Amino acid sequence: MQYVSEIKCRRLAAARCFLGALFLSCLPASAEEINGKALFLKNCSACHQVDGQGIPDAFPALAGNAFVHASANDVASLLLTGRSGMPNFSKRLSDQDIAAIVSYIRNAWGNRGTDIASAQVATLRAELHADMVDATPQNNRH
Amino acid sequence: MINMAKGLSRREFLYRVAAVGGTSLLLNTLNAWGSGIQSNANAPPRLTGSGKGKTVIILGAGVAGMSAAYELGQLGYDCRILEARSFAGGRCQTARRGVTIKEYGGESQTCDFDEGLYINHGPWRIPFNHQSTLYYTRLFQVPLEIMVNDNDTAYVYKDGGADPLANRRIRQVEIKADMRGHVAELLAKAIKSNKLDQELTANDKTLLLDYLVHEGHLSRSDLQYRGNSGRGYKVNPGAGMVPGPGIPSDPLGFQDLLASRLGNVYSAVHDFEQQATMFQPTDGMDAIAKAFEKRVGKNIRYNTVVRAIHQNETGVSVEYRDGNGGEGGVIKGDFCLCTIPLSILGGIEADFSPKFKQAMKSVSYAPVGKIGLQMKRRFWEEDDFIYGGHILTNTTGIGAISLPSTGWQSQKGVLLGYYNFEGEAAEISALSLRERTEFALAAGEKIFPAYRESFESAFSVAWHRVPYNLGAWADWTDASRKNAYPILFEGEGRVLLAGEHMSYLPGWQAGAIESAWQQIAKIHQRIGA
Repeated sequence: MQYVSEIKCRRLAAARCFLGALFLSCLPASAEEINGKALFLKNCSACHQVDGQGIPDAFPALAGNAFVHASANDVASLLLTGRSGMPNFSKRLSDQDIAAIVSYIRNAWGNRGTDIASAQVATLRAELHADMVDATPQNNRH
Repeated sequence: MINMAKGLSRREFLYRVAAVGGTSLLLNTLNAWGSGIQSNANAPPRLTGSGKGKTVIILGAGVAGMSAAYELGQLGYDCRILEARSFAGGRCQTARRGVTIKEYGGESQTCDFDEGLYINHGPWRIPFNHQSTLYYTRLFQVPLEIMVNDNDTAYVYKDGGADPLANRRIRQVEIKADMRGHVAELLAKAIKSNKLDQELTANDKTLLLDYLVHEGHLSRSDLQYRGNSGRGYKVNPGAGMVPGPGIPSDPLGFQDLLASRLGNVYSAVHDFEQQATMFQPTDGMDAIAKAFEKRVGKNIRYNTVVRAIHQNETGVSVEYRDGNGGEGGVIKGDFCLCTIPLSILGGIEADFSPKFKQAMKSVSYAPVGKIGLQMKRRFWEEDDFIYGGHILTNTTGIGAISLPSTGWQSQKGVLLGYYNFEGEAAEISALSLRERTEFALAAGEKIFPAYRESFESAFSVAWHRVPYNLGAWADWTDASRKNAYPILFEGEGRVLLAGEHMSYLPGWQAGAIESAWQQIAKIHQRIGA
């Protein structure tokens, strides 16, 4: 299965290269994917787990997740607002970061979905009145 | 190290507690009671009448649930508390020898600190203005001691960057003395040379100059700041000829201080909830949980995990399962006070309206991490003469290193190695226990040479991965305060919500207690009506 998804990823990357080539060069695609994975591991894997399988009754599996499949906009919105146990990442992650993560999880572990552009995340951020990125750590509260 | 300068300029090191605390809290309290019930957040509501023959099901034996049970019990109510864990207290916990924790997705952890040593991995301080918490510590005679929340002698360490004050430890008091001294000098000289004449009368000028000389320790003759004894000496004064008068220290340069932005570690006053006098229970925060448990423990059913909440016009029934695999059951009551965090409650079957469910879901919970490190030697006291307080650092994922306010001059101690929030907490929590410890040690040894060699054992928690919590506290936004909070505060039918999340003191025990007080008054009123 992993083999299949790797092929899929490569195919998607190739498609993006082609479109990207119209504007720039072929370079960003794979870098973007690596970035998405790194950002996922850093920010999301503590709960959703490295393999995207989540933890039953606590953290939803992202692999094969209908919500993740359905709409990139909804997934990005969730990162921008949080919900229940899911933290709000609006201050922590830039539009580019969120775009990279959402695009990654929608195409990892056998998932298949369209990518989302950072400009679209910016639009969502504005529509949702989500916080802007603020690198200031919140220190020593409570 | 991204954006360090910006971070510092935005009070990176500061104790940031909602500035809205004061007035909003007050207004909220006043408005919430209504119906002629006396507003008073310093003591429980004075309720008359009897609750005899009525049953209130309380979900969660945390500080909110137990204060509700205690007060309702005084009125004769039959309170049944369902608690998922095998112990009472909720987040009011203390990690000491033998305490275990297993985060979702994490390894099992058993605290093996020496007897008598502990870390408060949940709430750890009680400000003087949290009179609701202090009401119970007084009533139950829980011994308190001062928690040193403010120690000018503690270091500030700016990690990374090229300015002259970066990557070295500086005592906070040096920054306080020098920054204020330099600014006072500048202002005094501007006044003296008539640059502020538009703003100041002649009399104002005299008075303000007098203030600035005093505030900044300026020389009265030439208004210069040249340092002062308060910032410390190169050689402390003492007996005889040597050290005799000691050797004064040199102030940090004004330009260097400005470039470093370290002056921002101070504000004129701390925010509302961080001011002295700060307390902690003498033997760990769980002393509060235990004091409540002693009084209401007979009503607690432990290892009881709520599965479903149903209600009709006459009562509430709560379905539960036994956390140890025993038989589950159903419990019925007239009302239900639910103190389960929204992060958990959202996943429990309940016949709440879609509007109420949506409101619950719209509140996210804050990821927060802490690590306690047992040190075999109190090097911060012995080598650096720092007794309690916080080492402030901008190292990502550390936040503050906090030194214990107990066991002065004893052999060992447990310090708080990091206290991280949100994205940083999410990141650090993905590490294994060993890696978390290594991360904390690597940061600490930059500041204290003896840090690593003194380390003995660690206990860490990432609250967003803790079963029955999934977050440290409700992380309200302006939008969720506006759209969800009022709906949730009203409760639905015979189910009312209480806990820190139902207050403007999120993450504080006082918020949990005061919200419980409000909601039981509503229940009592409805039952009596």
